[in-house]
Amino acid sequence: MSGETQLEAAGMALEQLSDVVQRCQGVPDDSYTTEAHDVFTVAGRICIEEGNSVQVLSIVLDDKNQDIVRCMGWNLLPPLVQILLKKEDKDLPHCLAIFNHLLKACRPKELLIGLLEQLEQDDADTIAESLHLLLNPLQKVLLCLGSRKASSLGMTLSSVLDQVAKLPVPHTKEQEEDDVFSLCRCCTDLIPFVRPFVQEARQNLLNSKKQSEVADKMPVGGEWSSPDKEELRTELLKFCMKTLSHPLLEVQLKDPETLAVSPLRNFATEILNTLSAIGESVPSLVYQPLLKRKEVPGFLEEEVRYPKESLASLAHLVFVHHLAADSFPSVFSPVFCLRCNMEHVCLLLSRTDESRIQKGLELYEKSLVRVENGSLHADLLEIKTFLTVPQNLVKVMTICPRQDLRTKGLKAFQLSIDKFDTGAKYKFFLFMLKTSNHSGVEGYIIKNIKTQIDISLQPGNSNTWFEGVHLLPLLRKVFILPDGPETDLLQYMDRVMESLNLLRYLVIRDKVTENQTGIWTELYKIEDTFLRPLRVGLDMSRAHYERELCNTMEAKKSKVKEEGVLSVSVGDEKLPNMTPECQIQALHSALHTFDMIKSVLVRIEELIEVKDNI
Amino acid sequence: MAAEPTREWSDEQLKSDDLPKKDMIKFIQDNAAHSFLNEHKLLGNIKNVAKTAKKEQLIIAYNELFESKRFKGTEPIEEMTEHVRAVKLDDKPKEVKEIVDEGPPKFTKSVLKKGDKTNFPKKGETVSCWYTGSLEDGTVFDTNIPTTARKKKQTKPMSFKVGLGRVIRGWDEGVLTMSKGETARLVIEPEWAYGRKGVPDSKIPPNATLIFEVELVSVD
Repeated sequence: MSGETQLEAAGMALEQLSDVVQRCQGVPDDSYTTEAHDVFTVAGRICIEEGNSVQVLSIVLDDKNQDIVRCMGWNLLPPLVQILLKKEDKDLPHCLAIFNHLLKACRPKELLIGLLEQLEQDDADTIAESLHLLLNPLQKVLLCLGSRKASSLGMTLSSVLDQVAKLPVPHTKEQEEDDVFSLCRCCTDLIPFVRPFVQEARQNLLNSKKQSEVADKMPVGGEWSSPDKEELRTELLKFCMKTLSHPLLEVQLKDPETLAVSPLRNFATEILNTLSAIGESVPSLVYQPLLKRKEVPGFLEEEVRYPKESLASLAHLVFVHHLAADSFPSVFSPVFCLRCNMEHVCLLLSRTDESRIQKGLELYEKSLVRVENGSLHADLLEIKTFLTVPQNLVKVMTICPRQDLRTKGLKAFQLSIDKFDTGAKYKFFLFMLKTSNHSGVEGYIIKNIKTQIDISLQPGNSNTWFEGVHLLPLLRKVFILPDGPETDLLQYMDRVMESLNLLRYLVIRDKVTENQTGIWTELYKIEDTFLRPLRVGLDMSRAHYERELCNTMEAKKSKVKEEGVLSVSVGDEKLPNMTPECQIQALHSALHTFDMIKSVLVRIEELIEVKDNI
Repeated sequence: MAAEPTREWSDEQLKSDDLPKKDMIKFIQDNAAHSFLNEHKLLGNIKNVAKTAKKEQLIIAYNELFESKRFKGTEPIEEMTEHVRAVKLDDKPKEVKEIVDEGPPKFTKSVLKKGDKTNFPKKGETVSCWYTGSLEDGTVFDTNIPTTARKKKQTKPMSFKVGLGRVIRGWDEGVLTMSKGETARLVIEPEWAYGRKGVPDSKIPPNATLIFEVELVSVD
């Protein structure tokens, strides 16, 4: 549109607006025509967009127009909010005045719809700004709804959190301080937003408690409240549970030493306080996996009401960050605490999301550390999570892309082993040898077995698990070659090396004359099923790789481009073949591995011979 | 077998007023078989029997005893059956204690306010308590009692299922000895509290003896 036509259009719009408003004066509002609605909406929008908000303001403030304003005014929200979001517009004060008047004059339900629509924006910056602008008006409108506000509050909170979920989350301390995407500000704004509703819910709870005291019964959830009051509590609970998933499970809270003032930590603390205020005991929530809760009559089923991920997030906040520590009872037994947290840890570790894995590891570690070494009984291994958590841990240790998490995982793995008593360790080692299917993990377990045998051989530590009756069955599970002489020794290197280390240790430590571990009587079997096939396999592998090395060196000399038998493609690109230099390096490395294995094997054979001759 | 009892009194002595009924009853009770006493209605407390039995009856009984020779021990099976019938059987078999004897309990309790002494919690029941926990040096590390009475009306006491190992052992064992309404001070040694570890990142250090003042508000 050219400048002139624009002015014309603007002028026309103003005329139309004044016109329709006049026509509707004195007409009962239920008989406004659809046409009147449309003209008001379109003309009003154009006036505001074209900078005629002064005139619109006077129309809107006019006493004679209050009926139409109440009925149709809310349709002006979209253009108004657009101006308000721009902030530098010269019409800002007038638009603000119109906006505030509408908030008072129009019907709350319609205002709510209008405002919620305006929350949905395209880019992160506008989302953050619109939240900042509209939370207060939304609160005002909701408070006008009286005792029927619960479902509207629920709808509002849900929309708000959906928008918050679109904002990028700060990861470092600096990012939290800078808050360029305003996530922290939004969270901070949410606290005063919910406050009056939380107060109301708290008051309802108090009143119902008084009522029940008169009738001499304990209130259980919805028993003594009206449906509206129970709905309010439920909506606030939903809100808390949702925030625990996002953003709280996504962010890594910083401790007070790292970041003295942390908006996110404050937000998390407020959520915990809100839960308590609406009558949800934090200990009950955290320990929920093990507590059989009474069926609370109400809106949502248990699983929906208390999403598992939210409870896991809550447990993390309580046990790792010690939020609301002052109001958390210090009377629960560490083993009970561990059992409950295992459920949360299991859930977190079963995700591939690194943030959840990290929290799972932290929660696991904090729970284990409270238990004394060697105190967990084998009975606990009957509980499903005590087996699935280590299995999840193996996945983290072996395939998680982040090195720090792999390391942390291993640390947690060893810590968990240390907490088991001797019988439980034995059972656990058997389980892991059977199920982990990973040579590195198996090797690690075998190393642990060696440690336990060493401990049990020390005076005063005698037990039937790592000495005596049960040891040999365990050792039989250790000294095996999965594919006999054809076993890929490079793939199984970790396991084979640790097995040989263990055997060497036993042969040195346990005197033939004492045979405390039973190894000497078992040795002939081990030679048959393990040592002999290993020797054969080693010789075969060595021969094969030496030949390969020769061939490769020949090929390099003659610079023949070998068409590899194998090629690797990623996407549509074929990766370059290994250079001859790389190949040679790899082959040397393999040969070196065989040498290592061979040397331990030879040493063991020497030791056996010596002792045999004693 | 015991020697047969001999007659102590002649017929004349029996009839005489000098011989009290009680003596006769005692003699017969001491020497006659249970079934004999039953038939002659001479069972029970001597005083009572003396009230109901006439002298003539007793003389008859006395004489019949010696005639029939139904002395004690002549009907052993019957007597045994009577004894067995008379024994009261306990309704519940006594619980076998599976717990290995670990020595004395690692807590002490002093009652500060008596409870109703009737409602004692059983394992698995839900109890609720107000409590304050402190260390030996007086530091309060935990309490669920709000600061003002008004606030106390708004909060609930802590509830949990007792005796299931959900709380520290000192609490489980201690609360089981309390009755509804009782307030007690439990001094718990570290082995039945948080032991060598204490609670990391909290006010409870390793090897801490914990002192709890507990009020048992309700029992399920």
